[in-house]
Amino acid sequence: MRMVNFRASYNTGRLVAVLAVVLLVGFLLLPTQFQQIFQQAGSPVGWVVSWPLRAMAGVKDGLADLWNGYVALRGVEAENRELRKEIEYLKGQNSQLREAAAATDRLAALLEFKQQAGIPTIAAQVIGRDTGNWYRAIILNKGEADGLRPDMGVITPAGVVGRIVKTTAATSVVLLVTDPNNAIAGVVQRTRDEGIVEGTASGLARLKYIPMLSDARPGDQVVTSGLVGGFPKGLAIGTITKIHKEDGGLFLSAELTPAVEGEHIEEVLVIQPLSVPGEGERQGAFKGKSKS
Amino acid sequence: MRVLVWSALIAVLVPLQSVLLPSIKIGGAMADFGLVAACLAGVLGGELHGLLVGLAMGWVMSLFSVIDPVVAMGIKGAAGYVAGFAGRYLVSLSPLIVAIGMGVLSCGAGLATALLLSLHEVQNGWWALRVVVLPQAVLDALVGGVLYWGLASRYGMGRWLGEHRAA
Repeated sequence: MRMVNFRASYNTGRLVAVLAVVLLVGFLLLPTQFQQIFQQAGSPVGWVVSWPLRAMAGVKDGLADLWNGYVALRGVEAENRELRKEIEYLKGQNSQLREAAAATDRLAALLEFKQQAGIPTIAAQVIGRDTGNWYRAIILNKGEADGLRPDMGVITPAGVVGRIVKTTAATSVVLLVTDPNNAIAGVVQRTRDEGIVEGTASGLARLKYIPMLSDARPGDQVVTSGLVGGFPKGLAIGTITKIHKEDGGLFLSAELTPAVEGEHIEEVLVIQPLSVPGEGERQGAFKGKSKS
Repeated sequence: MRVLVWSALIAVLVPLQSVLLPSIKIGGAMADFGLVAACLAGVLGGELHGLLVGLAMGWVMSLFSVIDPVVAMGIKGAAGYVAGFAGRYLVSLSPLIVAIGMGVLSCGAGLATALLLSLHEVQNGWWALRVVVLPQAVLDALVGGVLYWGLASRYGMGRWLGEHRAA
């Protein structure tokens, strides 16, 4: 077996020493030329070495990215949490603003209607529904103390809601027009045929006792006739969807889609009889009293 | 003290019944918290408790309903009394038995209400049974059973009832 001798021989050492001296002298006497020579000679070496260098750099960059990514992720996670919180807060605020805007629109419409209608009314909010399953009714946040009494009509700008049937000092119960136990005098707006509007078991309404020779047809509007107390003439009750002959045969009966969806209203106007002072007048009177 | 407790309960249950429950109706009907409370009061406190709580519940709830107050008071008071009477003579009161009993009482109360109220002709007996009485009885049974189960498992109601009855 052949042994490799890595130890430099004496002659080689002397050669290296001479070469070093030559190089040193050359660098001192001809620096630019020597640099160029070494530069050119080093170019391919540099190319070869560049590969592992790049590989190492890639690994290092990868590690750095991993590390920075990890550290940064922790920051991002916290930032993400903060941003989510902020989004939730802004969503909530947005929802509140939308709600406020919707309420403002509704109240503006109510106020405009109140001014245009020219009938004394009291504005009230719906605060609940009937506590039982037997009747379709809503609870208002105003009662006897505010001048509300049984049999007063309740409306919105869209039309008739129902009639007050019960009051306490601070609340009122309104039986909706869609309840079968409610009855309102109505008239077909186009043909002027009169009848009685009642609710149905399915939550709609129907106009009963229309004369047999009536020309009423689906699409006709039914409004209050003003004959019976509670409602002035001409308030929308609903639209006729179907007409049929009543059993027994002396009258026609029309199914109606109510103008107001009573289950979803939030603000209403209660119609006051003319003898009772209006809300503004009562407030004015109160202010007058408090001044005096 | 008991009067205060029941008054507070009424003050909480009536707004719940009027404001919260209508928005979570199941099958077009909602549970009657007043009836459930009267029955549970009867079961836990005896006939007199059931009667008084039923009367009070019926009266306060009728203020926020179209229903005739006398009918509401009478029905709920009677239900509370019957629940108390039944509770006294039943050997064991498991949540299932309470739920079944509540359902039966609710059915009876619903049918009696339909008979006593002068409802419109379209709201006949079949309509009442299908739309109001049966759905409400199921919900009342569920609410009553769950409430009793909660009370029994948390406060050892069985032993309390035994001592109460013995006393």
